[in-house]
Amino acid sequence: MSTQAIYDAIMEFEDDDVVEAVKEAIEAGVDPQIILNEGLIGAMDEVGRLFSIGDLYVPEMLMAANAMKAGMQVIKPYLKGDDGGKGLVVIGTVEGDLHDIGKNLVSMMMESAGFEVIDLGIDVPADKFIETAKTNNAGIICLSALLTTTMTTMGETVDAIKKSGLSVKTMVGGAPVTEEFAKEIGADGFAEDAGEAVVFARNLLAS
Amino acid sequence: MKFMDYFTEAEVTRIHEASLDILQNTGLSVRNEKAREIFKKAGCSVDETTHLVKIPGKLVEECRQSYVPEYTFTAQDPKFDIVLPDNRPVVITGSSAPNIIDPKTGEDRRATSSDIANIANLINELDGFDVFSISTLAQDAPKGQISVSRFYPALKNCKKPVRSNTPTIKDLEDVLELGAIIAGGKEAYKERPFINHHYCPVVSPLTMDVDSTDAVIYLTEKGLPVYGTIVPNAGMTSPMTMTGTLVLGNAEFLALSTLIQLIRPGAPMIYAVLSTVADLRTGNYAPGAVETGMLQMAHSQMARFYGVPSGGYIGLTNSQINDAQCGYETGINTTGALLAGSDMFNMGGLLGSLMAFDFSKAVIDNEIALMLKRMKRGMEFSEENLCLDLIHEVGPGGTYLDLKHTQKNMRKMAFYPKVATREMRKKWEASRSTAEERAFDQVNKIFENSVQKTFSAEIDEKIRSNFPGLVKGDMVW
Repeated sequence: MSTQAIYDAIMEFEDDDVVEAVKEAIEAGVDPQIILNEGLIGAMDEVGRLFSIGDLYVPEMLMAANAMKAGMQVIKPYLKGDDGGKGLVVIGTVEGDLHDIGKNLVSMMMESAGFEVIDLGIDVPADKFIETAKTNNAGIICLSALLTTTMTTMGETVDAIKKSGLSVKTMVGGAPVTEEFAKEIGADGFAEDAGEAVVFARNLLAS
Repeated sequence: MKFMDYFTEAEVTRIHEASLDILQNTGLSVRNEKAREIFKKAGCSVDETTHLVKIPGKLVEECRQSYVPEYTFTAQDPKFDIVLPDNRPVVITGSSAPNIIDPKTGEDRRATSSDIANIANLINELDGFDVFSISTLAQDAPKGQISVSRFYPALKNCKKPVRSNTPTIKDLEDVLELGAIIAGGKEAYKERPFINHHYCPVVSPLTMDVDSTDAVIYLTEKGLPVYGTIVPNAGMTSPMTMTGTLVLGNAEFLALSTLIQLIRPGAPMIYAVLSTVADLRTGNYAPGAVETGMLQMAHSQMARFYGVPSGGYIGLTNSQINDAQCGYETGINTTGALLAGSDMFNMGGLLGSLMAFDFSKAVIDNEIALMLKRMKRGMEFSEENLCLDLIHEVGPGGTYLDLKHTQKNMRKMAFYPKVATREMRKKWEASRSTAEERAFDQVNKIFENSVQKTFSAEIDEKIRSNFPGLVKGDMVW
């Protein structure tokens, strides 16, 4: 019994098939760590490669990530201790802004890269970010804004997080947000797109 | 001029019915409480927990009865007043970009209130533009004055209709106060409301927000001009077919229109859209895509069906510099929209999908606008213009070059571009200038001949005492 079926099911974006294949592999006694590394993460690495050369489009990557997540749910109880998790991220669109497409992309990419993500959705007040980060011991809070008019709220939110005294890093992103702006409002990180956000989050937590 | 139609009459009817189906059976999430109340009072089913509002088709149809076919942009100077659809194509700048390409260094940077003053002056002087939608934000705005720091330099330096949005009711009230002071009183302002408000209250799919919706309700109640733009994005916030995106956007337009007509029957509206298709290779926003133009064309046909003026953000570009991509994206999509009957074009001056203003782009867009206006003027068919007698007279082999008839017509018949070159190679080689450089020459010429406009000392004093610490609002060139 190999992990090929799991790998294939992710490449075909079939959630149910992934769940089935992971269950079968567990029953057949395959090491859960191998299921994770060769099946689930192995497939996502290939998905990432195909995306970066332009063979796969964004919806396919999201579907693959969803399929991978479905498999993760099954395997999680069998993994001891470190399940490849790279830290906990709280993410949301700042107060007054209802746009979430970009934020959802970042959220998905982070999950498929092994982060645990709590997505607070849209129109999120500063308090809620702080509260959630505190209760869940988050490493990073990611803030998103699309409207040029809600960028100010982003600054206020970063301020509030800092004042709260939490030892959490902040990352910001969204169409009107630039690296300069991120520095100006005192955010710890900025990413131009979802892929960059993952790399940045990894580095931020490692530092 | 006959307009291009994508759909048959039966298809238009089906799209309308499908839109009603969406509003009645799935409904919208309406996050604004006042809007929910208005819908509820009119007989919509409203769920206060989920905020879901289902609008009966019958109500949409009733509200359609009070749609009006005209929309007026009022200017500080009445000679610049402009009416849709009579003055079509009405050309407007693109708005609210955070950045500007610095006219001296060519670097991309955050825009300021002096940039807005400069842009306002430029748009005031360029004949192709009819309305100035405030192109950028103002990074230097004092705390609490984000909006007045944009409207003050705009209104000071541009006497054409000024258009933009505000993030909160407080900002909106500040801006209206600014307008009233300039007009010489609230009543005088109401008579000629020269600030033209615009919002995107619907976030696709099928969600009405809190703040922009609040502004639309506020302005509609007061009888002040306001309209909304509908912005579905195929593949992301609407289905990945042209028709599916059209029908979703159409339903969203009808929902917003129903709200507006319920508040004030007969309130003028524009069927304005920025319907796009996402670039799913990357997820990037693609307002410059050909599909943006096609969707605008289709929405314009629906607007004709509803009897309201049409338009939107059309002719935007994804290009980061003023290059060939810039030209063909703006050119193709605005031409399509013009031929399909769109009335209003938010097209001018922005690069990088609404992210940065560029002076030379604004001048090239001005030239495109003048070409569109020429195209709309059309063939001017008449017996006189057939020139039958003249053709007989000149006969084969003659010339029309030295005729009085030619001289009489030549200045008004053809559009003579200022940016495009028509020089022969040898002569052009003396300068080897690009369109962008020639556009910039025009920018410099305009600023050389510009004098700083002012409000009367009395008005300015009042403005400054109302908004202490307000930006200067003057051009810096």
